[in-house]
Amino acid sequence: MSDRVVIAGYVRSPFQPAHRGAFTRMRPDELGGRVVRALIERTGVDPATIEDVTMGCAFPEGEQGMNIGRIVGVLAGLPRTVAGATVNRFCGSAMQAIHSAAGAIAMGNGEAHVAGGTESMSRVPMAGFNFLPHPGLVERYPQIYLSMGETAENVADRWGVTRERQEAFAVSSQQKAAAARTDGRLAAEIVAIDDVVEDGCLRPDTTADGLAALRTAFRADGTVTAGTSSPLTDGATAVLVCSEGYARRNGLEPLAAIRSFAVSGCDPEVMGIGPIQATRKVLERAGIGIAEIDVMELNEAFASQSIVVIEQLGIDPARVNVDGGAIAIGHPLGATGARITGKAASLLRRDGGRFAVSTQCIGGGQGIATLLEAIG
Amino acid sequence: MTTINRVAVIGAGVMGTGIAAQVANASVPVVLLDVVRGGAEAAIGRALREEPEAFMTREAVRLVTTGDLPDALALVAGCDWIIEAVREDVDAKRTLYDDLAQVRGDRSIVSSNTSTIPLCELAPDDPDILITHFFNPPRYLRLLEVVAAAHTRSDAVAAVEAFADVMLGKVVVRSNDTPGFIANRLGGYWIDTAVALAAERGLAIEAADAAISHAFGSPRSGVFGLLDLVGIDLSLHVTRSFDERLAPDDPMRSIARPIGLLEQLVAGGHTGRKGDGGFYRLERDASGKRKEALDLATGTYRPSTRSRGDDPTSAEYARDVVAATLAYAEHVLDEVSGDPAVVDQAMETGYGWRAGPFTMLADRRGAPAPRRPPRRPGIISLRALRQDAEPVRRNRSACLWDIGDGVLCLEFTTKMNALDGAIISLALETLVLCGSDGFRALVIANEAESFSVGANLAGVLLSANVGAWNQLALGVQAGQGAFAALRAAAFPVVAAPAGMALGGGCEICLHADAIQAHAELYMGLVEAGVGIVPGWGGCVQMLVRMTERHGHQGPMPPVAEAFRVIALAQVSRSAAHARELGFLRPTDGITMNRERVLGDAKRRALELADGYRPAAPPPLRLPGQAGAAALRLSIAQRVAAGEALEHDAVVAGALAHVLSGGDADVTTPVELQAVYDLERDALVALLHQDKSLARMEHMLATGKALRN
Repeated sequence: MSDRVVIAGYVRSPFQPAHRGAFTRMRPDELGGRVVRALIERTGVDPATIEDVTMGCAFPEGEQGMNIGRIVGVLAGLPRTVAGATVNRFCGSAMQAIHSAAGAIAMGNGEAHVAGGTESMSRVPMAGFNFLPHPGLVERYPQIYLSMGETAENVADRWGVTRERQEAFAVSSQQKAAAARTDGRLAAEIVAIDDVVEDGCLRPDTTADGLAALRTAFRADGTVTAGTSSPLTDGATAVLVCSEGYARRNGLEPLAAIRSFAVSGCDPEVMGIGPIQATRKVLERAGIGIAEIDVMELNEAFASQSIVVIEQLGIDPARVNVDGGAIAIGHPLGATGARITGKAASLLRRDGGRFAVSTQCIGGGQGIATLLEAIG
Repeated sequence: MTTINRVAVIGAGVMGTGIAAQVANASVPVVLLDVVRGGAEAAIGRALREEPEAFMTREAVRLVTTGDLPDALALVAGCDWIIEAVREDVDAKRTLYDDLAQVRGDRSIVSSNTSTIPLCELAPDDPDILITHFFNPPRYLRLLEVVAAAHTRSDAVAAVEAFADVMLGKVVVRSNDTPGFIANRLGGYWIDTAVALAAERGLAIEAADAAISHAFGSPRSGVFGLLDLVGIDLSLHVTRSFDERLAPDDPMRSIARPIGLLEQLVAGGHTGRKGDGGFYRLERDASGKRKEALDLATGTYRPSTRSRGDDPTSAEYARDVVAATLAYAEHVLDEVSGDPAVVDQAMETGYGWRAGPFTMLADRRGAPAPRRPPRRPGIISLRALRQDAEPVRRNRSACLWDIGDGVLCLEFTTKMNALDGAIISLALETLVLCGSDGFRALVIANEAESFSVGANLAGVLLSANVGAWNQLALGVQAGQGAFAALRAAAFPVVAAPAGMALGGGCEICLHADAIQAHAELYMGLVEAGVGIVPGWGGCVQMLVRMTERHGHQGPMPPVAEAFRVIALAQVSRSAAHARELGFLRPTDGITMNRERVLGDAKRRALELADGYRPAAPPPLRLPGQAGAAALRLSIAQRVAAGEALEHDAVVAGALAHVLSGGDADVTTPVELQAVYDLERDALVALLHQDKSLARMEHMLATGKALRN
């Protein structure tokens, strides 16, 4: 069993609201560098033993350009001998970074990788600075460029998710996150950045009445509002992906082993259902059923798609996002995948259970999922 | 000589806050202090919420440092001019001056914004203290009355006057040290007489206000509306102050004011707009807002009706108010100033009268108007020029003036300065004139309230309705051609817009080498609001400006920025805001004083004239169809979200095509002429759209945008 690939460390920056939060003036490469530095310090591993730094980023241009994975490694003070790469699968980028690292380790490409992501939605806008869609494709297949908000409306429409249910879901996410913060259940994963020690997106006083008063954000006669969407967020994440043997030799207690992973495609206009197929694939590959999943971290891009995914997979909602989800905590696009995967692994350690899934939907019509298994 | 680099304002009431904001608007740091804890801070917050806006930009807001008295008094130490705007209480003010003397710098100046207390009571022998009386709101009302005594430091007075003129844009008027100074003395008499006579004769206040504003050419609010604006309680206070200080036989004291009614209003909280209504009030009910007016006889409210005030009773009333007011002006002339032209200036700029009392008297007697004081250096006035000289050229819509030193000035003379064919043709004549006869630069300027509201929509609509498409296309081309020719001319062109510069009025400015704008500039390409796109080079020149600003960021940012400003028909709320929006370049100038705009523009033109060569535009690398596709996707999102209508998407789609450069490819720069052609074709195509024509008709008929 010594060649299993495990997650042996997880840290993230506080998540701050874009344009008005504490990281508005912080470059995403600087933020990523600090988080990776903290991961190395907390795990205490010799940085020279790291093979590669793979950073997810959904819009890798401007300050996020120039192979930000390499830049982050240098900013983190890693030796020049450690390589660096950037991967982009939009919202699935950081989870893809973990998959790439795990796959590389399985192939014998090093024993330890840093995988994570960084995204400043304050400083590099969604769609980037030079959105130049293929004009012919816009004519033939405009869905491929559809805004995320409209896909959330489509999902709500097609699966009949009422505004009231979306708002109840959002209130619950806010309450779970607020309770987790108050009880100190978020502190362990957060790295202080200067004097910023806490998440800034949470709205603990959210009420159903308050949400009901908001106007719809994407479709005049729709059901999705800013309150039932994940906020624009600045943040960075990192996990240590390594072989179980490496972890043992370095005195690390792994959080969880990576059992299987998958990506899938779906219609872009309902990209929010992506996690359904991806999750079914990881379960099938491990030969287990949904009932055996004790912990699920589902990225709450929108309440509408989260509700449909939970329903269609048939998982007990009590096992999903126990410390709150992205609607409350925030969603720095290319960084989120390492938060929810690191979180799922940590929850297996903290709360017990055998299997955990982290999964998310991806713009353009995709899903991505990771199945984790408890060590032990 | 004292120079003013930093200012303090004590007292964060409406006036103090407004004064501080205007100092900050001039890019000068200012300290605002108040005795109420957090009061100054809160006052800035209020100013940011209220209309009309006191601040021109967010940067200006950041120039204000707030503080609480007495702790923060030391902040005045570094201030050269300290403006006192605390409550009208002689003892409180004198105590403050003593406190200030402990902390302020040796060469600093203190002035009081009192409206009622003479300097001889405030500071009988202090050489550092004078009176500077601002009018509300300080950003928009241009009068500043200055009162100094024989013992007041003359360099301090000169420094304050120069700063107020150049930096704050004030018309500075020296007043004698008499109660109410000039404007409020005469204005107070005017208001009280108008109120008393209306009450006595049982006039409806709407009729009285209409008649008065017609007779004096004053703002449409009239006197009752004005009292609501300044506060009826404040007006009573001023009246009492006059009663205390004026001679017993002063005619002001024998006005039969309806004191009982006024006191009843104040006691009931009906102090005006700041209170629960005053002479007018807005009642809200299920059907919306309803305006009510006070019946002076009964003291009760009734639904307000429109009145033109031209019935015989109202007309006679207005004549009597005029006669009494003008007689009072003659009565107090020597006491308040001695110079009739100064009194006129005070009433025109402080109370917005079309002409001051002595000009009105001269008109009635067929005598020449009082001679204006000599112009201060750096000021050029077309109004003065018109009295002594003939234009170099003129036609029915424009004049061309010789403003000296080889500089020509093109002045529009149409209603609202709408642009027409005659203006275009005179603009083209400058191309021949300039470069000959010793002319070497052109300034485009006028002294009207609005620089230009754009092309004459009625003419465009007429041609579209009769299907004169060729004529329309030629008209678009003629404007484009003339403006492009100005851009390419062998002499510099400086545009000097003030007030509104919309549509074509904006486009002619965008073609100038430089803009020297008045700080109060409301500039925008508003064509999208009436269902069309700019067609006189507005799209081209905004692309040029945005390429200068954003070109290094790739092909899309300049296009997206130009698109946002034009598609949303954004209009600047000040010249500084116009610079943020991209209409003005960083090198363009802003003049705070309306009277100085033309002089500053001429100076800029002369700077450019030596060794002038027209600037080459940056190469336009446009994204072509991909850019248009990106913009159309964003429009579709706005339509889906209910933020834009289907026809907005049609107009914005046409604009997207123009700004993206049509079939351009990013590897090859686009010739400006190609974008001019795209713009012309897009405009003419939109003029074929019924919904666009309906928008134009509605705008002409109602002055409002039609959402169809």
